[in-house]
Order: sequence, then structure tokens, then C-alpha cells
Amino acid sequence: MKFLEHELAYRRATALSRREALHRMGAGIGSIGLASMFNHPVAAASSANPLAPKQPHFAPKAKRIIQLFMPGGPSQVDTFDYKPLLKKHAGERPSIVNRKTLRNTKMGLMPSPFEFNRYGQCGKMVSNIFPETAQCVDDICFVHSMHTDIPEHAGGILMTNVGALQPNRPSMGAWLTYGLGAECDDLPGFVAMSPRAKPRGTLANWGNAFLPGAHAGTYVNIEKMKPDAIMRDLKNTSLSRAEQRKQAELLTQINQLHLERLEQDQQLEAGIQAMEMAFQMQFSVPDVFDVSKESEATRKLYGDTEFAKGCLIARRLIEKGVRVVQLSHSISGYDIAWDTGHGNIVDGHAELARACDQGIAALIKDLKNRGLLEDTLILWGGEFGRAPTSEGAKGRDHDHYGYTMFMAGGGVKPGFSYGATDEFGCSAVENRVHVHDLHATVLHLMGLDHEKLTYRYSGRDYRLTDVHGHVVHDVIA
Amino acid sequence: MKRMAVFLATLVIGLTLAIAGRAVEPVAVTPEQAAFFENNVRPVLAEQCFRCHSQEAKKKGKLKGGLYLDSLAGMLKGGDSGPAIVPAKPDDSLLVKGIRYTDNELEMPPKQKLSADDIATLTEWVAMGAPWPDFDPEAVAASEDEEPYDWEKFRTSHWAFRPVSKSAAPKVKDPSWPKGAIDHYVLAGLEARGIKPNAPATKRHLIRRAYLDLIGLTPSTDQVQSFLQDDRADAFARVIDELLASPHYGERWGRYWLDVARYSDGFGGFGDGAALPNAWRFRDWVVQALNADLPYNEFVTAQIAGDLLEEKADPVGTGFFAVGPTYKGDGGDAEATAQARAETLSDRVDTFSRAFLGLTVACARCHDHKFDPITAKDYYAIAGIFNNSKLRVHPLVSKAEVEAYNQAQAEIKTKDQAVKEWENHRKEVAMREGMRQVEDHLVTLFRFYRQRLQPEGQKDLAAYASQHKCDTEYMKRWDQKLRDARFKGKFKELDIWYDLKPAADKTKATEAQIVESARAFKTRIEGILNPLEEKEKVWREARANGDLKKGRPKPEKQGEALLKELRQHIYPVNLDRILADSGRAEWDRMKAEREALKKNAPARFAEAHGIGESGSGDMHVALRGDLRKKGELAPRRFLQIIAGEEAPVFKKGSGRMELAQAVIDPANPLTSRVMVNRIWQGHFGAALVRTPSNFGSLGEKPDLPKLLDYLAARFIEHGWSMKKLHREIMLSATWQMSSAFDQEKFNRDGDNRSIWRMNPRKLDVESWRDNLLGVTGELDETLGGAPAKEILGSTRRTLYASISRNGDRFQSDDFLRLFDFPDPRATSPQRSVSTVPQQYLFMMNSPFMQARAKALAAQLSKLENNEQRVRSAYERLYARVVEPAELSAGLAFLGEAPDKQWPAYAQVLLSAHEFMQIQ
Repeated sequence: MKFLEHELAYRRATALSRREALHRMGAGIGSIGLASMFNHPVAAASSANPLAPKQPHFAPKAKRIIQLFMPGGPSQVDTFDYKPLLKKHAGERPSIVNRKTLRNTKMGLMPSPFEFNRYGQCGKMVSNIFPETAQCVDDICFVHSMHTDIPEHAGGILMTNVGALQPNRPSMGAWLTYGLGAECDDLPGFVAMSPRAKPRGTLANWGNAFLPGAHAGTYVNIEKMKPDAIMRDLKNTSLSRAEQRKQAELLTQINQLHLERLEQDQQLEAGIQAMEMAFQMQFSVPDVFDVSKESEATRKLYGDTEFAKGCLIARRLIEKGVRVVQLSHSISGYDIAWDTGHGNIVDGHAELARACDQGIAALIKDLKNRGLLEDTLILWGGEFGRAPTSEGAKGRDHDHYGYTMFMAGGGVKPGFSYGATDEFGCSAVENRVHVHDLHATVLHLMGLDHEKLTYRYSGRDYRLTDVHGHVVHDVIA
Repeated sequence: MKRMAVFLATLVIGLTLAIAGRAVEPVAVTPEQAAFFENNVRPVLAEQCFRCHSQEAKKKGKLKGGLYLDSLAGMLKGGDSGPAIVPAKPDDSLLVKGIRYTDNELEMPPKQKLSADDIATLTEWVAMGAPWPDFDPEAVAASEDEEPYDWEKFRTSHWAFRPVSKSAAPKVKDPSWPKGAIDHYVLAGLEARGIKPNAPATKRHLIRRAYLDLIGLTPSTDQVQSFLQDDRADAFARVIDELLASPHYGERWGRYWLDVARYSDGFGGFGDGAALPNAWRFRDWVVQALNADLPYNEFVTAQIAGDLLEEKADPVGTGFFAVGPTYKGDGGDAEATAQARAETLSDRVDTFSRAFLGLTVACARCHDHKFDPITAKDYYAIAGIFNNSKLRVHPLVSKAEVEAYNQAQAEIKTKDQAVKEWENHRKEVAMREGMRQVEDHLVTLFRFYRQRLQPEGQKDLAAYASQHKCDTEYMKRWDQKLRDARFKGKFKELDIWYDLKPAADKTKATEAQIVESARAFKTRIEGILNPLEEKEKVWREARANGDLKKGRPKPEKQGEALLKELRQHIYPVNLDRILADSGRAEWDRMKAEREALKKNAPARFAEAHGIGESGSGDMHVALRGDLRKKGELAPRRFLQIIAGEEAPVFKKGSGRMELAQAVIDPANPLTSRVMVNRIWQGHFGAALVRTPSNFGSLGEKPDLPKLLDYLAARFIEHGWSMKKLHREIMLSATWQMSSAFDQEKFNRDGDNRSIWRMNPRKLDVESWRDNLLGVTGELDETLGGAPAKEILGSTRRTLYASISRNGDRFQSDDFLRLFDFPDPRATSPQRSVSTVPQQYLFMMNSPFMQARAKALAAQLSKLENNEQRVRSAYERLYARVVEPAELSAGLAFLGEAPDKQWPAYAQVLLSAHEFMQIQ
């Protein structure tokens, strides 16, 4: 225990709590505001902590977001977009389905092989491959009228996560930490996770592109995860904690002496604070990723799938003030998990749903019990949906004209369904929501105006929504 | 911004006149016409068109094609395809064309043709002159957003487009301070603001600064000492000349240019994942060009059009474009492919214009530039040049060497084919031999099963087979396949085998049945092989007689399928097993010949990624950036704002050489200004124009415009020599000022825009890592060559790290980016300087830092005692004498167990801020 006392004494002596330190580092930005940063790129590139918390444009409904990303394209009519007419018209090919899909499949309508049942007070029809999530429909806001630009995975995934078809734009998570900073000083502001495979496009999905590097998501593979190896160089292999403390103090002392000589040096001051944070991170980071610290009951609630472990870590992260968590689904090492739908909806989708259903439901319930759901936004969905017609005997082709995503918590209407596809689930026809609109809405819920959250780069102001996007006010509670 | 607003207002007035000249005078609307419009026309428009073409649609995000049909102004202005109507000329009006459904490309409304009555109504209305009650001609102008600029106004009012003009060095009050012209410009500015320049830096600071600045490495203790002892007046000039002559100069300054060139070894994301294994040739080319002081105008030309130089073609420089991202679609979706191509061209135009001209031409990809005088046509005029310049891997050796290599490879290929043909023939002969024995194989197998049931029967199939002169391999395979249900049906005569229960006592089939089926199967095989071999005989004879046209004969489809199954599953042949001695000798000889050819072939010649000519077509303006929506033709030429409204059209090939000449034309006001500004930034950490790749309206204005112009003019006068410029800057009193903080001056000019001190700078990751290796005596100073895959495991300079565009290919990518290495996806004008905790995790815990700490401790351990070691460390790392407080802190830390503590102490010294700082 000696080193602990020593450490406390040291911190009293330096008289700077971590949060104070954080504010001090961020003062450069906080006090002059974002707008003036743009006019002074050199000032922006100075030593101020880019992850210091920032004022949103207006009062946010959600303070943090957990994105449950389903790469590969889950089929809407087999999950949450109930289309009873498919049964009646099975095998038929009404003209309404004649749209260009990726493989231009020419088969007839295929009813969902899954049973749908009515759930909750809102009476939502949900497929029996999502029995647990179905129990939470009264907390969920479904958007059935999503549509996007192209029916290809790489482009669709990037559109969903960076708002463009190419990987040269910042990810949504990077924009959010750029706009809001983070509320923790010893964890990254944006954590991206997946079991097994990274979603196609890998780093671009959580990349910072031209935004400052601190906004890049930190990626963690939760399959192979070792809590003390979550980040590079997190663990010191040669010194004990007490020895390390002594070493850190000497470095601070030497830097302080140098600072006195220089009288003033922002970068050096920031360095002294960052050093102290780094020291703390060595212990706080492994701790937050260690789910064995959860109670038996909580672990049971989540179940034992890898995805559920990700959900539980996501909750632990946002509790500590991480702003954005992106958890992508994969069960077999395939980077577009839900694409198993081409050949066989029955096996592919049932297995994928089984692997994530309990985790999703547990996350919603757990956040609700802890009072966190009201200001935490959960976003579920893939890059597009699948056609209600069949591909081969049992599969479905990609379909970007209409698909379903859902949100929960964070200021969206609970037990609510917005927009609709046509009678067969082909195309979004009512209250259509483009991915850009979804982004605008997510930013709005987080207190940011998507038209004002800009970054000057290469001669123009860039936005997550480029020149598009309308906030979907109807889904906001 | 106020300036901008005034300017925009002028634009609007200008374009109102332009439109008035173009548009047809609106007809006065009679009451009858108004009634016709309100009763017949507007309802059709509202019902059929407004869903996609109205202000309302715009609000809902449903506006299509940029076309508004809810006002006459909107119709006259039109959308992406042009004006929707020409009043009184229905046949020339796109709207009428659209509703008539005569053009496949243009059918409106898209879902359902209008009724004949509605079509007649709208056509008639256009014919009447499109009378629209309450039409306001001003509204057309107000809704217009893309119109020609006032070029002359831009050329005279925006500083960057004005010609470079060298003014006389300004007079100063304190003539003792300036050492050269630069100092006059700086001091005049300082005096005007009433700020005194800082005192000169100490000699120790000066020499460390000069070394880090020019070569990125700290001076050795000896180098510091000899400079301290050198009292000659030109002592410092000598240091500069020495450093400029060092090959490490190119490594340090070349890296700045590689930032601009968004240099990487390829490995982007999903769409641009290709590796660029020869990218390093471009990196080395840049380093060598700088070391040789290649004049900047030639440096530029070689990068834009080096492959086209008549005197001495040098294509390596064109790697400038090739090292960037080249995007591909994923899966062949037409939209994605077009997008990928557009994005690639955008990279080329963006990098070209920002790097050489400090202009953001790529902003004009979808519409005319909102702030700078760059039209979408300008963009496609430049993009067209790169559209005709495709990626090419250029050989770096003579044609003869390339041909020798290709010839040797062709010989290897021919020999390889001959060997394979020989092998295949031998195999086929052996396989057919086996197939013809199929009856024996099957009957023997059955008999084996039968006899195995007897107590004294032979239990081992191989033994039984060889006893009965059957090939054991073939027998084993038949045994396997005839019990494997997946093969049932493949050999239809043999289906009865699958009902056999050879392991049980009772076999249903009689031997007669088996023999009969085997014979039938054999007959079928012979029925395929016999006619085939007849045909082959004819074919071989014809071939021997020189008829090479006919291909090898094949059996009919089902026969071929059966042979294929048999070859694959039952009778595959291992040549090694079956070749008899004579055949083996021939085989070995052929293989040896092939090996000899491979061994004697010349090694792959050196080559570099670059671009080359691939056409000379012009592009069309892509409406809203969509390459599939063609607007007007954009002939290839230079930017109008520089080359004039009558900018000559480029005619030679892609036009790259003409482009290069336009860039380096001394009358071009941008090129030299942009480069001297970059060089200034390299020396001071802050540029004179603090947006070095954006000299446009949204960029910053120069802090000392006269100094910038002086430098730009001098640069050209001195034959675009970068080394002369370095020398002049470093010999100035300005560059030699101390970086000391001064509260009062800081309060007046905290950003140091008037340059009252040298900016204290943090080293970039390259120099920092290089010096961590340098001060511990571990640095490998080899120049150039292929990159080191994982730079943290190497002792080469950081310049030689492999860099992936996506940042996720190499472990060292993470390290580089952690310390502000720029994203090589796009040109980078300056490094950001961030301070994040993860950097300190690296310093505290990384194996790299711990190894350096150990090496430093080991180096110092040669000295006698701890005090000497600490003193030496301070000299070595920071080029200064240790202070008492630092010495005592060090000695206290080392304490009782110095041997154990030294690595931990050395790590602290290496992690200290002073080590990563240029003062």
C-alpha cells in the first residue's frame, strides 16, 4: 500500500486533479471557440487537448452513442419489417420489384421463412430470430424507410460510417469526438470493437481522415482481447508500479525545471499533463475492459456470446465517459457477416441473430436499469437491406432502396415505428430516410447541428453530411 | 468576411446583366393567358412535376436534377441539363421533349407519361411564350449561382494573383541589427509595431538548431566543441555549407516534400489497396534531387512530365502522382466505378494544384469554386490532363536490358510449357493405360472382398492387389470411392457396388453381375478412348506436317466428363512413381534445362511507379461531379485566372508538358511564392502564409507580404536554387534570434507573426526517432533503398519506414501516426502538433524506448563515475552543460543501485521534452 500513499501524496503536491488538468489543456479551445479555431489553423494545431469536453451547439438529448453495426446487410423482411403479403404473393414478380440490385436477380417474391409475433404494448411484429430484442420493442424506435446510394458492401459500409462512398472522410465517431470531445481523461474518446473480423473498410470506419489524429477511434478485437494489451504499450514489463511512479516523477521534475527555464511553453505544459494521464491509463484501461469485474447477474443477463461481451464492454466504456462506441458484428471472421443472406436466409440470418440478440436486449435493459438509456443513444443496423425476392432457392440479394435500422434511448420516441417500405418491403416509400438524414439526426440528438459541425480542409468546409441531410424530427421524443 | 460579401454583391450584379442579355424578354401576360395558366397549366405542373421540382421538394430533400418548375425563373434557369423551356419554341424546350417521351434519356415524369391532353396543354403554353403571371425577371438572376467571375478584379485585388514584385529593402531605425535583406523586411515590421527582436541565440543553441534544421540530426559533442572554439567570422556560414553538402540534408528536406506528395508505399483501404513496391524509388529521387540542388522549376517539371522530357527523360519524378490513391469500385456497380474514377481524378487535381500552386482547384469539381476564381471547367480542363495520364511502371534501365529480361522470361516460359506438355502427355498415357484395365481392377476388388470373408483370406488390399498384378494405388482408390455414397451415380454402370455390404457376410450381388457391370463400364471407356485416339493420331500427323491451327481433339461432352472424373479420382498419376529409367533421364534433362534458364536469366530490372501518356481526349464538365452526367466540353488548358480568359488549349498528348511549363512560367505569380513559403515554414516552424497549400480567398494572407515577394523574386533570380535560399535565410539575424519567451512581446504578438523570436519547435517524429538512435550510437546512416517494413525494429532513419496509406498495414504505421505523421491519403501542407497520453505510454513502456535507454546507459557506462556520466548525457542529448539541480536530481535517482537504475534514468532523459525540442 505504500506506493498508493506515495501516489496520493504526489498528486496532492501537484495539486491538479486529472479533470482540472484536462480542462487546463482544453482551455485553448474552450475559451476561443470552434469558429476562431478555423481562422487560426496554427492555434488549432497547438498543444491543447483535442479531446477536452466541448460545448455542443444546443442542449443534447444524448450524451453518448453506442452503434451496433451489422455489416453485410441484414434482411428487413426477415427481422423487423413484417410483410404478410409476401406469403400471399410468393413466387410472383410484381413490377414493383423490378429495380437494379447488385446481381440483378430475377426470381419471385419469397416470404420470410421465420414466424413473426406481436410484442410489447406497441404491438410490434418481430421475427422469431430476435426473441430477446423483441422484449424491448417498447424502448425502440424503428426506422423502416432507410435508403442509401449503392448496393455494394464497401461503399455502403463507408456511407453508413463515414457518410461517403470512399474512405477519405472522417468517420461519424471521429466527427462526434471532434464536436464534443470526450468526458474521460484516461480512456480514448471513441472505441471501435468487433469480435473476429473488422468490418470491410477496416480503419476507415473509425478513422479520423483529415481531422486531428486524436479523433481516430481506438480499435479493439474483443475475441483475442487481453485487458492489459488493449492499447499499444499499455503495460510496463520492466518496472514495478512503485518504480515506475518514481521514474514518472523524475521525468516530471526534469520537465518542470526545463519549463522554469523557458518561462512559458504550451506544448511542454501539455506534455507534463499528458504524462500523468498516461500513467493513470495503464491501470484504468485494463480495468474497464475486464468484464469479470461485473456481477454474476449482469454477466448472465448478457449471456456468453462474443457480441454480448462487446455490449457489456460498451456499457462499461460509456459509464466511464467514452463518447462513442462502435461494435460491429461478426461470428466467423467474415468482414460482412450478414452477407450470408445471398445463399441461405434461414441458416445465415438465424445464426447471426442468435449471436447478437441477447446482447442487444441486455444492453437496452441494463442501460435502462442504470438510468443511462435516457441519454445514451443506441443505433442498430447494417449498410443496406436485402430484397424480398429470392436469390437462388433460399437467399436474398442486396437491396439499398429500402431497409430497417433502429434506435433506442438518447431522446428518440420509444415504442415507435417511422417510415415504411412498400407492401412487399422493397423500397422505402413513406417518410424516406437517407443515411445522410440519419447522420443529421444522430448529430442533432447529440446536440450538434450537422450543417455547423464543419472542418476546413483542402480549401473547403467539410461535413459528415457533405451537402445533404435533414434532421428527422419525427423520431425525436 | 465583409470583403467577401462586397465581392459577392458585385458578382450578382454582373450576372444579372449577363442573364438579361440571354433570356427572352418575357411576354406581358394577358388576363386570358393568366386564366389559361391558372386553370390548365399550373394544376398539371403542381400535380405531376412539383413533387421533384419545386422549392417544396428542395425542403424535403427530394429535389431532382437541380430543376425548379414552380417558377418561370426556375424554368428559364433550368437544372443540370440546361434551361427547361425556351419560350415560344416548344420543340427546343427540354420540358416539352421530356413529356413527349421521345428521348429515352429524358422521359418525364419518369413513372408515367402524361395524358395526351396534358401534353398538349403544356406544349401550347410554351408556344404562347410561357406566360406566367407575376413573373419577376430579377428572380432568375437571384436564383443563379454559377456565373463567370470578374477575372480582372480578382487579378488586381487578391494578393496571390498579383505579379511578384520585389520592392527595395525597407529602411530601418536600427541599421546595426540586419545582416541581410531579409532582416530589413522583418525589422521594419517589428519597428512599426514597436517590438524589439530577441537577442541572438547562444552558440550552443545555434549549432543544435542548425543541425536539426538542415539534416535532422543533433551535432556530436565534438562538433559542438569545435564550433564553440571557432572564432572566425564565417564560422557559422561554414557550418551551414557543410550541412548543405551533407547527404542527410536531402533526407531531412525531402521528407517535407514527401508530406506534400502524400507519399506512401500503397496499401490503402478496400478501394485503393494496391501495394506500390517501387514507391521508394520516388522517395530516393526526391532526396537525390534536393542533394543535387536540382532547380525547383526542373524539380516541378520532372514530377509533372519527367517522362516527356526530350533531352533526358526521367520518369521517376512522375511517381508524385502514382504514389497517391487510385480508387477502384467493389463488385462492378456502375455508379461505384464512376465514383471511384472521379475520386481518383480529384486526388490528382487536388494534389497538383495545392502542391505547386497553393490553390484548391478540386473544390470546383461539382460547381464553380465558391470563393476563388476557379470554374468547374477549369477543374475538368486539368482533370482531363490526368485522365489521359495513366499509372505506368517505368523501367529504369536501357531498352536492351528490358528486352534481354523479357526474352529470357519468354524462353523460360516456352521451356516451362514444353516440360509441362511432356509431363501431361506421359501422365495421360499412363492414366489411359490404367483406365483400360478397369475391368480387372473392379473384378479383382470384388474378389478381394469375397475372399476376405474367409478366415484364411488375405486381409490387406495392397498385398492382394500386387498378388493379382493390379496397381495398388488404383485399387485403393476404387475401394474408397465405391464405398463413398457421394460418388454414387458418377459411374452409372457401377451403381450396384453401393448396395454391396462387403464387410457383412451376405453380398447380394453375384460375381456374374459384377463382372458384367465392370465389362460394361470398360466398354464405355473404350468407346470413348478408341475413337479419341484415332482422332489424336490424325491430329498429330497433321501437326507434324506443319498444320498447327487445329486444337487437340476432345471426346464428346459426356465422355470428357467421365474421363475427367477418372483422371481426378481414380487414376491420377505421380510421374515420379511411374517413370521408367529412360523416361526419367529425359525428364530430368528437361527440368535441368529449365532451371539453367532461370538461373542464367537477368534479374528483374529496376523500375518505378509513375504515370505515362494514355490519350489526348477532353473531358466534359461533370454535372454536380457525376461523371455520367455530361455538361459542356472542357478542353485541356491551364487555369484561366493565371493563363487568361483565352488560355491556350493544350495540344501535345495529355498536355502534361504544357501544364508543367505553365506552372514554372516565371510570370506565374503562385509557383515561386508557394515554394519559398514552404521553405520558410521548414526553417521557422510557421510559414509567412500560414496556409501553405491554400493561397486562395479562404487561405491566410501573408504576414510579411513584401518579404514573401522578395524571397519569391530572389528564388527565381538565383535559378530556383533551394540551397541558396536556405543559406540566405539561415545567415539572417532573423533566423539566428533566440527563441526565448518574453511576456511583454508575447502579449503584443503571441502568435509571433511579426517574428520577434525564433519559434520554439517540437521535433517531428522522424527527427525525434532518428536522434534517439543517434545519441545512443545506434543509427544506421545508409542512404536510400527499399523501405524497412517495421521501422521500430530497425535502426535506419525514419524516412525509410514502410508507410501504408490506410495506416493499418504495418505496426510502425501506428507509431508514426501517434506522433503526428500526416495521413498520406492527401497532400499535407504542415504537420499538426498534438500532445496525447498515448505518446507517453510509448515513451514509458515501448520496447523501442527501453532498448534505446539500455543502449544509452551502456554507452555512458564507459565513463568513470555517475557524475561524469550524467554530465556527458546532457552534452550528448541537449548540447549543454547540466545544471546543479538536474545533476543532483539525477544522482538522487541513481542512488544506491546505479547499475540497476541507469536504464530507467536514461529513459527519462530520452523522454524529456528538451530532447524533442528545437530551441
